[in-house]
Amino acid sequence: MKEFNVIGKNVIKKDAVDKVLGKAKFAADMKLPNMLVAGVKRSEVPSGKVININAEKAKKVPGVVSVLTYKDIPGENIIGIINKDEPILVEDKIRRIGDAIAIVAAEDESTLEKALELIEVEIEETQGVFTIEDALKEDSPKVHGDTNILAEKILKRGDVDAAFKKCDVIVENEYSTPVIAHMFIEPEATLANYEEGIITFYSSTQNPHYDRGEVARMLGITLNRVRSVQATTGGGFGGKLDISTQCHTALLAFYTNRPIKMVRSREESMKVSSKRHPHYMKFKTGATKDGKILATDVELLQDTGAYGSYGLAVITRSMVHAQGPYEIPNVRIRAKMVYTNNPMSGAMRGFGVPQVAIGHEGQMDALAEKLGIDPVEIRTKNCFQTGSVTATGQKLVDSIGIYETIKKAADKAEQIMDKEGK
Amino acid sequence: MLVRGKGIGCMWYGIGNTGLPNPAAAFVKVHIDGSVTVLAGCADIGQGSDTVLSQIVAETLGVTFDKVYIKSGDTEATPEGGATSASRQTYISGNACHFAALEAKENIVKVASEILKCDEEEVVLINNTAYKNGCEDKTITYKEIMLGLKSRGLLAIGKGQFNPSASALVENMQGIPYATYAFATHIAEVEVNTETGEVTVLKIVAAHDVGKAINKKNVEGQIEGGCLMGMGFALSEKLIINNGHMKNPDFNSYIIQTAQDMPEIYPIIVEEESGEGPFGAKGVGEPALIPAAPAIINAIYDAIGIRFTHLPLTADVVLDAIKKKEETK
Repeated sequence: MKEFNVIGKNVIKKDAVDKVLGKAKFAADMKLPNMLVAGVKRSEVPSGKVININAEKAKKVPGVVSVLTYKDIPGENIIGIINKDEPILVEDKIRRIGDAIAIVAAEDESTLEKALELIEVEIEETQGVFTIEDALKEDSPKVHGDTNILAEKILKRGDVDAAFKKCDVIVENEYSTPVIAHMFIEPEATLANYEEGIITFYSSTQNPHYDRGEVARMLGITLNRVRSVQATTGGGFGGKLDISTQCHTALLAFYTNRPIKMVRSREESMKVSSKRHPHYMKFKTGATKDGKILATDVELLQDTGAYGSYGLAVITRSMVHAQGPYEIPNVRIRAKMVYTNNPMSGAMRGFGVPQVAIGHEGQMDALAEKLGIDPVEIRTKNCFQTGSVTATGQKLVDSIGIYETIKKAADKAEQIMDKEGK
Repeated sequence: MLVRGKGIGCMWYGIGNTGLPNPAAAFVKVHIDGSVTVLAGCADIGQGSDTVLSQIVAETLGVTFDKVYIKSGDTEATPEGGATSASRQTYISGNACHFAALEAKENIVKVASEILKCDEEEVVLINNTAYKNGCEDKTITYKEIMLGLKSRGLLAIGKGQFNPSASALVENMQGIPYATYAFATHIAEVEVNTETGEVTVLKIVAAHDVGKAINKKNVEGQIEGGCLMGMGFALSEKLIINNGHMKNPDFNSYIIQTAQDMPEIYPIIVEEESGEGPFGAKGVGEPALIPAAPAIINAIYDAIGIRFTHLPLTADVVLDAIKKKEETK
C-alpha cells in the first residue's frame, strides 16, 4: 500500500482547540454595534386561514423598530431546497403549528417578547390532515394544491411475482419508524447586516450557498449582493439544511439598516426545524432453501408533513436502498410520500435509509431463522460483490467492501462477546 | 432476569445526491513563504471537513498539515461546495480540493525540477521540502522553490471542481444513482431485563468500509457518535405528535442517549479504495448511524425471542411484549 505523510494520520482537528477552550464564536455569540434582536410570530394552530394581521399595538411599544409581514417581501415569498412550497411569511394559508406570520425587530429581548404577544392574528381554523391514511382520502382537506401526494414512485427490476413462486421460504412483515428529531446541540441563529448595498449574514447552517440563493430571491437582488457566511455550527444532522433564521433576519436588516440577530429557543427549533420522515413499511422477501434471496417486494408510506423540504430526496434514496446491501434479482419497491398538517419532515442523517434498514435487516434475520441458518451466513451468502447488479440496474465495480465488513465484524464479535450468547 | 443476546445489522449507502449532479469546487493558493490557503464552499458543522480537506491539500502539495489554512463556507470568498449532507463532502469537496492543489502544484514542480536539475516526474515533494527521487539527502525547501517562482514571474494557484459520475433514474427508476457506495456491518450485544423491559447495549462492533480513512480518529469519532444515535433510534427516541401538536419538544421529554449510555464500541475501518475518491476515500457520516438500530433489534430477538418491527423499543414496549409472550405459552 502507498505510504502517505498526512493522509490517514490523526492530526488534531482544526476547530478542536477553540471549541475545547470555549473560544469558538457561534452565531448567537456574535455582536455588532447598534444591533437589534428579532423574533417570529407563529401560528398556534395546524391548519387554517389568516383573516387579518393587526400589528398596530406591537408597533407602538417603545423599543420596537420593525414589524414585517408577507406584504413587505420585495421579491419571492417561497422557499424550499428541492420543491419550493414554503412561504417565508404566511400569506393566507396556515399548514402547521409554527408557520411564520410576522417578524419583529426590537432593541432588547423583553421588548421583543412583548411585541410578539401584542400582534393580533385572526385565524379561521380549518380541518387538518394528520395521518397518511386521511391524507390519501379523496375528500380530505388538501395541504397544497389538489392532492396530498407529493410523490408516488415505483422501482422495478425482474419479475417479483414469478420469482416468489420459485421461493422455498417467504417472510412478510410490517415495520414502522417514528418521527425523530436531530437534537443538534446548538439551536439555529443568524446575525444579518445590510451595508453599502450588500446583505451579509452569518448563520448556523449546512449549506451557505443555498441560503444565499433564497435570500437573494426573497429580496429580488442579484447573488453577488448577498454574502452568506457559515458561522461556527454546533451540529446539524440534516436539520440545518433548510432555511431557518436566514430570510427573516436578512429581511429585517434590509428594512432597518441595522444589524439583526435572531436566535431560536430549543422549543421553537424543535417545532419548526425538519424531522425524520416517519415510515410505514411492508416487506415481503423470498429465498431458496439454500439461502439465496430471489425476490423482495417493498411498500413505503412516508409523511413529509406540511412542506416538501428534502422529501423528494428521501423517497428516492429510501427506495434505491430498500433492498439492502444484497444482490437480489427481482425487486419491486413502491412508495408514496404525502403532505399532512404535521411538523415538516426533511433531511436527517441517512435520508430514509435508516428507516428502510430496519426493514431489510429484520427480513434477513427472519429469513435466516426460517431457513435454520446463521444470520451472518445469510448475509455473506447474499451480499454484493464486485460485478453485482443493483435494483436500479447498476453494475457495482468500484470499492465493494460489504463482505469484508461482515467478516471483520463477526471475527471481532467472536473474540469480545459472551461466547454463550445468552 | 438479565438475558443477553447478539445481533447483526448491515447497510449500504450511496455517496452524494441520488441521480443528480451535485458538484463542489475549491481554490488553492501557495504563498511565497510556503504556507497555503484553501477556499472551499464546504460547511464544516463539526464533522471535521476543514481538517480532512486540509489533509488532502497538504498531502497533494507535500507540505505539513500546519502549513494549510482553510476558509470554508463564505459565499464572498469560497466557490460552491453544495450541501454538507449525503455523506458527500470528503468525496466531492475532497476531490475539488485535491484537483485545485494539483493545479497549484504544476508551477511548483516545474520550478523545483529546474532548481534540482531533474525531470518533473522525478521531483518528490514532502514535508515542506523537495528532492530528486533517489537523492533524499539533497533537499531544497518550499521557500526556495517559491522564491524561484517569484523570480520567474509565476504563481502557484489552482482551482478544482468535481461532480460524481452518476446518471438520472429513468423508467422504473433504472440508472446509476451514485458513483460509489459506503458499506458497513454492526454487531451489537445487549442485555434485556425481563422484569422491567429495559434494554442495555453492552458492546457494538462497527466495521465500516470508508474507502480510505483520511483521518482515522475522525472516522472513529463519526462511528462512535453514529452508534449512540442509532441506539436512540432503536430504544428511546420518538416525537409524540397529536393532531399536529408536538408533545415533547425538549430534552426533558424527548429522550436521547447520552454519555452515560455509551456502550463499548469497537470501530473497525475497512479500506476498499474507491477509484474516483480522493486518495480512495468515500464517506462515513450517515453510514455510521444506520446499522446500529437493526443490530440492536436483532440482538433483542436473540436474547428474548421476540422480533420487534415497530420503533422505538422503550422499556414499556419490551415489557408488554414479554408479558404477552408469557401469556400465550
